[in-house]
Amino acid sequence: MHISEGILSGSVLIAGWAGSIAGISYGLKKTEPEKIVRTALISSAFFLASLVNVRIGPSSTHLTLLAPMGLILGSSVFPAVFVALLLQAVLFHFGGLLVLGVNTFVMAFSAFTANLIFGKPIKNENGKIRVIVLSFMAGAFAVILGAFLAGAFLGLTDKNFMGAVKLLLIAHIPLALIEGFVTSFIVIWIKRVMPEFLS
Amino acid sequence: MTGNTYTLEFSGENINAVKHSYSPSAILISALCYSISVSISTSIYALIIASFLPFKLIFEKKIFFHNLSKLNLINIFMIITLSLTWPEIKSGFLMGILIAVRINMIYIAFTAVIYPLGTSGMYNALCGLGVPEKMRVLIILTLRGIYIMYERLEAALISVKLRTSNLHGIMKLRVFAYLTASVLLQSSIRSENIMRSVKCKGGFNGFNQYENKGITAADTAFIFIFILYSLSIIIINYA
Repeated sequence: MHISEGILSGSVLIAGWAGSIAGISYGLKKTEPEKIVRTALISSAFFLASLVNVRIGPSSTHLTLLAPMGLILGSSVFPAVFVALLLQAVLFHFGGLLVLGVNTFVMAFSAFTANLIFGKPIKNENGKIRVIVLSFMAGAFAVILGAFLAGAFLGLTDKNFMGAVKLLLIAHIPLALIEGFVTSFIVIWIKRVMPEFLS
Repeated sequence: MTGNTYTLEFSGENINAVKHSYSPSAILISALCYSISVSISTSIYALIIASFLPFKLIFEKKIFFHNLSKLNLINIFMIITLSLTWPEIKSGFLMGILIAVRINMIYIAFTAVIYPLGTSGMYNALCGLGVPEKMRVLIILTLRGIYIMYERLEAALISVKLRTSNLHGIMKLRVFAYLTASVLLQSSIRSENIMRSVKCKGGFNGFNQYENKGITAADTAFIFIFILYSLSIIIINYA
């Protein structure tokens, strides 16, 4: 889901940075000082978890874990994603600094929206099957929304990118299914062990 | 689950960190100005002017060829994808080449100038640009947390490998999910203990490691030269 440097136009980059700065400011304002350590450690745990390759058939993928991040951190997901992506760019040269704003917006907004839509129902629901279904939907939704936003940024850069965008969306369908399963297992585990952990 | 994680060099940051004569903020601003001008360039003449800096950096540092070959393998895939999905194959191919050239230029500039600053340099650069204190603390703690969590995750992956050698399908995802959830929960419990110790030590006041050296005349001149260079690229692009 990382968009590389050199692809997006100047106006799209500015729009991405504007969205990210707004989200980060809101997230920082909402993050209580007591929760900063928790946000940082969860951000680092997600950073590492996304570096673990999961082999699927002949190829392998790494998970984004957007929905679990949104469900746990709530609005703090914007600064958490920004810091994780900044460190990925500096330590591993993933993504880039110029597109950091766009990548942060794509991932954090998807995670935040998944929490807005599915957060309360998942937290309030006690039936195991319903929680599994809702969490699956949250996980898959976050990935699809992320791919859609990345596609929208590419499409806004040049309409001719739409062919590649279709390919991008199709390629994210299997990942969305996998993320859905992983999210539902994570949520079930958390609800069983420490339900108050969900934001 | 392969359990492949990227090796974190615990001391690598300090070893690779380059001592610059300019402040990290000045370097970051200059490199960003240059990369913005490259990223919006579509004219061949503008790209020729923009290529002076990457060529200079390549000849000075001579460290990029291995990394560039990896990067360009991905670029080849991108060029093929664009050629096949663009309305016309030829224009898609040319667009792919243009993007690949821009990616290489920005990558060289960042690899030579920004990334050697390391996380401490980047932290100082962000502080110099007026990033709020909450964000600074978050960056420091996340970086610290990565090293702590890395050990925990590695141990968890080894234990999973030892206990279950042959995982398939949903079971594999389930094991990975439980492992991730367990690491997250442990990190939350640990964060509560850290927060208690931070409070005992007098709050976040001791966290500010920013060395405010201020913007010197040399920094101003450095930024000014890069702004002029970037503007000339943009003007040639639209001329």
